[in-house]
Amino acid sequence: MIFTHRLILLATPRHIGVLDWRPGQMHWLGEFSDHVTGQAAFRKLITRYAHLPVLLVIDTVDEDYRSEILPHVQGRARDEMLARKLKQVFRNARFTGSWLQARETGGRRDDRYLLAALTDTDWLLPWLSVLHREQVPLYGITPLAMACQHMLNKLKVQETHVLLAYRLNNSLRLSYYHNGLLRFSRLISGETPTQLPGNAADEIAKTQLYLTGQRILPREARLHVLLLDPSGQLDSAQAPLNADPAFSTRLIDLSHLGHALHIPDAFLAVTPDIAPLAAIAGEAIQLNLAPAELMQRHTEFRWRRNLHAAAGVIGLAGLLMTAAFWLHAQDLNNQIDQLHQQQHHTRVRHQAIVATFPLQTVAPEQLAQTVSLAQQLNAPQPDAVKLLAAIGQAMDASPDITLDALAWEHALDPPRREVNIDLDASLTKFDGNYRAAMQRIEGLMNRLRAAPGIVDVNLRNSPVNTDSSSTLTGKTFGPNASSEAPAVNFGLSVRYREASP
Amino acid sequence: MKTPPFAVLKLSILLAVIALALTTVGSLWSWRQVEIASAALQQANSELNAARKQLDLSHQQKQLIATHLDAYQALKARGFIGAENRLAWVEAAQQANRDTGLYGLDYRLTPQVASPAALAQGLKLGQTSMTLIFPILVETDLPRFLAALKQRAPGIFDVQRCKLSLQGDPVFEAINQPRMLAECELLWFTIAEQAGGNP
Repeated sequence: MIFTHRLILLATPRHIGVLDWRPGQMHWLGEFSDHVTGQAAFRKLITRYAHLPVLLVIDTVDEDYRSEILPHVQGRARDEMLARKLKQVFRNARFTGSWLQARETGGRRDDRYLLAALTDTDWLLPWLSVLHREQVPLYGITPLAMACQHMLNKLKVQETHVLLAYRLNNSLRLSYYHNGLLRFSRLISGETPTQLPGNAADEIAKTQLYLTGQRILPREARLHVLLLDPSGQLDSAQAPLNADPAFSTRLIDLSHLGHALHIPDAFLAVTPDIAPLAAIAGEAIQLNLAPAELMQRHTEFRWRRNLHAAAGVIGLAGLLMTAAFWLHAQDLNNQIDQLHQQQHHTRVRHQAIVATFPLQTVAPEQLAQTVSLAQQLNAPQPDAVKLLAAIGQAMDASPDITLDALAWEHALDPPRREVNIDLDASLTKFDGNYRAAMQRIEGLMNRLRAAPGIVDVNLRNSPVNTDSSSTLTGKTFGPNASSEAPAVNFGLSVRYREASP
Repeated sequence: MKTPPFAVLKLSILLAVIALALTTVGSLWSWRQVEIASAALQQANSELNAARKQLDLSHQQKQLIATHLDAYQALKARGFIGAENRLAWVEAAQQANRDTGLYGLDYRLTPQVASPAALAQGLKLGQTSMTLIFPILVETDLPRFLAALKQRAPGIFDVQRCKLSLQGDPVFEAINQPRMLAECELLWFTIAEQAGGNP
């Protein structure tokens, strides 16, 4: 909003009016005559508002308009072409401008321009010098007819050929608009005799003839005349104009205009000058007559404004980012405080539990491990009585075999209930028949296998070695020579597994 | 507008640069605060987790103590925990021999060695081998002796191996004379009391 605050000046050869405008709000700061006192007061006012961009709307008879069809070019070439054309058309006029209005639809599709110039600007220079001296950012000089074009747009005038007859400051401005775009305008000053109310219709008719003669207005076209006069003097022109079929005339009343421009009726009635100024205030300048050197301040102003805006945006973004990060950090810090509190409570509970522990020298885990290990080591071992009973059961069934030695052992590692047994025995009544001896040993082994708990029986030590790779010697005895026979010893390996309880 | 009038825009440019610099500094500073706070939060989370684990551990330890302390004290009183007590072992063997009505015994104790790691399970478990040699009359004297020793044992032992062998000519004699010799190897276990008590 701050970037759209501006001053709109309405300059005529006799005075200059100042409108302080911003969207939805405007103040009429006054009208200053072209005398010394008026210029001094104007300078004093401008000094206060020197920081605002200024648009200068010119209302003078010394203006000229020319429609031109030019080739469609762009960029620097167009600038150079327009500069040449303006110089060619308006000679040495300083305040000239061009407006690309439309592009032709047929042929080469050339561009249609409206060229305009202020042909006499001596009266304007004192005002411009005030603006220049106060370093005001002037962003444009545009004719009043352009301001009126925006006024018609806001009135939503739809007709193709429109002639606006606007009586302002005791002068009559006749502006022709084709499809809403300015094509021609002329000001009939108040000093001329044609300004009598009865002559307005004549001036409008003459203007229509001029436009037709210049082929600006097609011959067959019906001209829609809009009469705008806050003083009401143009009302009398409506009847004679409507009597002519070439015209279609209607009045624009101030209340309708005020409503379209969002200006209170009373305010508009007191200061009718503000209507075109308010209409153009918020719009882009389409036809700018200001030479580049006069807009240097505005160029600087725009750069400065954009830089300030960029600085503001950057600063605001930085502030927001910093605030967001900082708030996030504070949030994290709050979480940290909560975690520290939880940690403190947890440690207090831990200390309370530890305080209940009895005084001891071992860690609780080791205590449990020690007890578990003791239980493992103290686990029941295989019952020796059952083991001996199993062996004895087999031996009792073998009376011709004598048990010499019995040894057993078991490992500490699980399974603890399995026992390896070494059994050393000898045969009684051996007659030298090793085949029979082996059968008796085999019988013992079978009986052992049948005993409870015995899971495996192997011959560990044989009484005779029948291996073909070794030497076998021996001696046989007679039937009654048993007392001379040597003892036959053998050994068995037995695996015993006690049944689980 | 095409070429910026730098000469008259010095202050504005300076303002924009200052705004940019302040934005950068402010953003970096505040982001650094976020990073520091994030690291501190992570640290606080870790510490809280550690404290919770410690609390859980203390609960478990409390449960362990409540479950095993009595058994541990009993083992300590029995002699399984602490220094080995060889005299008590020898006395227990002699007493068991007498109580079962046997005929005396020979014993031999070897130096204590550390038990295999698989058995010790990380504890300082030591084992001492005791070899007992004693005559018996019948085979069942051996289990009776071992049962009596188990009952009187001032500690924990494991019978590793036993051997029964006949002595002399196995001719039947009516007299009450032991003709059988038993030889058993026992492992006495003791565990050293380790420091590291209350957490």
